[in-house]
Amino acid sequence: MLKIEDLHVEVDNREILHGLDLEIPKGEVHAVMGPNGSGKSTLAYALAGRDGYAITRGRILYQGRDLTAMAPEERAREGVFLAFQYPVEIPGVVNANFLKSAINAVRRHRGEAELDAIEFLKLARQRLKLLNMDEALLSRPINVGFSGGEKKRNEIFQMSMLDPRLAVLDETDSGLDIDALKIVAEGVNSLRGPDRTILLVTHYQRLLDYVVPDQVHVLAGGRIVKSGGKELALELEAKGYADFVKAAAA
Amino acid sequence: MNVNTPHKASDFRPSAGREHLGKSPAWLDGVREAAMERFREDGFPSPKLESWKFTNLSPLARTTFRSAEATKGRKITRVDLEPYRLTPDCHLIVFVNGRFRPDLSALDHVPDGTRVVDLVAAGEDDLQALIAPPAVAVEPRARTLFDLNTACMGGGAVVHLGRGAILDPVQLLFVALPEAEPAAFHLRNLIRAEAGSSATVLESYVCLGEGTYWTNAVTQIDVAPNAVLRHYKLQAEGSAAFHVAETSVRLDHQAAYRMFAASLGSQLGRNEVDVDLAATEAVARLAGTTLARGAQHLDTTVRIEHSMPRGTSGQEFKNVVDGRAHAVFQGRVRVAPDAQKSDAQQISRSLLLSKTAAADTKPELEILADDVKCSHGATIGDLDEEAFFYLRTRGVGEAEARSVLIDAFIGELIEHITVDSARTYFRRAFDHWLADGGRP
Repeated sequence: MLKIEDLHVEVDNREILHGLDLEIPKGEVHAVMGPNGSGKSTLAYALAGRDGYAITRGRILYQGRDLTAMAPEERAREGVFLAFQYPVEIPGVVNANFLKSAINAVRRHRGEAELDAIEFLKLARQRLKLLNMDEALLSRPINVGFSGGEKKRNEIFQMSMLDPRLAVLDETDSGLDIDALKIVAEGVNSLRGPDRTILLVTHYQRLLDYVVPDQVHVLAGGRIVKSGGKELALELEAKGYADFVKAAAA
Repeated sequence: MNVNTPHKASDFRPSAGREHLGKSPAWLDGVREAAMERFREDGFPSPKLESWKFTNLSPLARTTFRSAEATKGRKITRVDLEPYRLTPDCHLIVFVNGRFRPDLSALDHVPDGTRVVDLVAAGEDDLQALIAPPAVAVEPRARTLFDLNTACMGGGAVVHLGRGAILDPVQLLFVALPEAEPAAFHLRNLIRAEAGSSATVLESYVCLGEGTYWTNAVTQIDVAPNAVLRHYKLQAEGSAAFHVAETSVRLDHQAAYRMFAASLGSQLGRNEVDVDLAATEAVARLAGTTLARGAQHLDTTVRIEHSMPRGTSGQEFKNVVDGRAHAVFQGRVRVAPDAQKSDAQQISRSLLLSKTAAADTKPELEILADDVKCSHGATIGDLDEEAFFYLRTRGVGEAEARSVLIDAFIGELIEHITVDSARTYFRRAFDHWLADGGRP
């Protein structure tokens, strides 16, 4: 489903990822864990196609196609979704309008009929209920005045509406109290399925108590330095990243 | 006629249009000749003048113009004007190439107590108000185009509301039909709202066809005690046009003036607005947007004078600048020593869509009273790169994401337009501009 080979990424002329390899089979949930500055967010942005994240070597194969040549919106329409670590506030753009045009852009691309206002609202209500979110969110500007938890839940709501094949969740657990974390985790779990591949990018193990991954990878110094089962996360929690950081620097 | 240099300006006939002001009294001739003399003396305002430092009129000064009378006025019909109408059935006075066109106007149902006529039918009171100097004084050399307008005015609308009258809404539609040889249209409008009256007036400047011409418009406005005027202006001149306009507003006790102006046409445009809160408790709320692209240069210059106590003024102006265009906003607020308890707020924001777009903004506050509430703020920024990326990661295409963010920047101003039909009108103009928006 997703195969990253020898990925080198530069930001502001500085190489952050130094040959990252990662493979995630369809329908699995993998976690990439790493300390601050290891390149986690760079990986997430490179997958989504952010300007300024220059891929200088390697490739990202998604459903057999190279993602790196695609614009962010093309990737989105092909089923790639990035849940932001810091969801952006956009004053003046109403959630419902934005989401409806996003969904319809994706649907057009897939050759599906566009949703009209009523169909859209019906779907949105159903998904909001699932995530235990207030319908009022739809008429508010995107993320404006939202609490940290609301912003993260809004990301998961968008994900549920856009129905991606590959979801990359960048530090979706950061800044959440335990109740909010549980709600977000439930949301993610409800979206697990054989057709959906999920990549959790996180610093801490605690999200993985609620969203149990099939595999855990340790990212240090711009490379994957170790991969293993879910117990690897517990090991990291107990011992910290110090050994990996040292090994990566060696 | 050639307006290359002040000397060449002898080619201007100060009497041009005098025929149009049929009963034009002798004193008016004197005023017009004196105005012509001032223009001859000083010529076009130079960028050396403080109030013109961001706007250079030399492309205008270099162009040779004929008078409006010399244009042929290609045949047009009501159908041609439909896209520019505020509503299909609002009161309408139409000028084509500066000349009143009763056949295209719709003035049959103007309510009792109100008058909407061409300058030709202006009465003595109207003329006095029409030739009054602008409501806020500046150095005379910065005002020579007003003088030229005084000397050459030949057409324009007179809107008069008697005490307590209601006129809702009326559209003044100025249509240019450019010809091979550029022409100059010196338009003079008057809006007089007597005590307790209420009106909505839209001025639209549009162009059918392409070519160079010059609109030099002056709109004089008097709002009497307790009268309310909602004034809208759309400047959608042709892409090769020049547009220079002076709107001068005098507000009496508890008069309320609300303005929204959108400037998106012409290669070189200047929209000057002067408001004098000349009596107590007057209210002036001005808002506007400039949408500039290509090589356009569009300037908005506002001066607000709080002459008397307890007045309120607000300014909210937003520029969107693309291509190699240049937008200017100058906003001056002066609070006179006696104008205690004045409240004056000003905000200007510019959004630059390309690396070569430019915006200049110059707020000026001169507060001579001590018990006042005044503030101003100005920002100039690029499209929010993070927001742009965020929208695209959701599948929204590049062009649409850009439109969405521009809309978010301007939309609020348009939503705040109180009159439904005007809000729809400007929304349409704005959407059209956005849709037109292949990057130049």
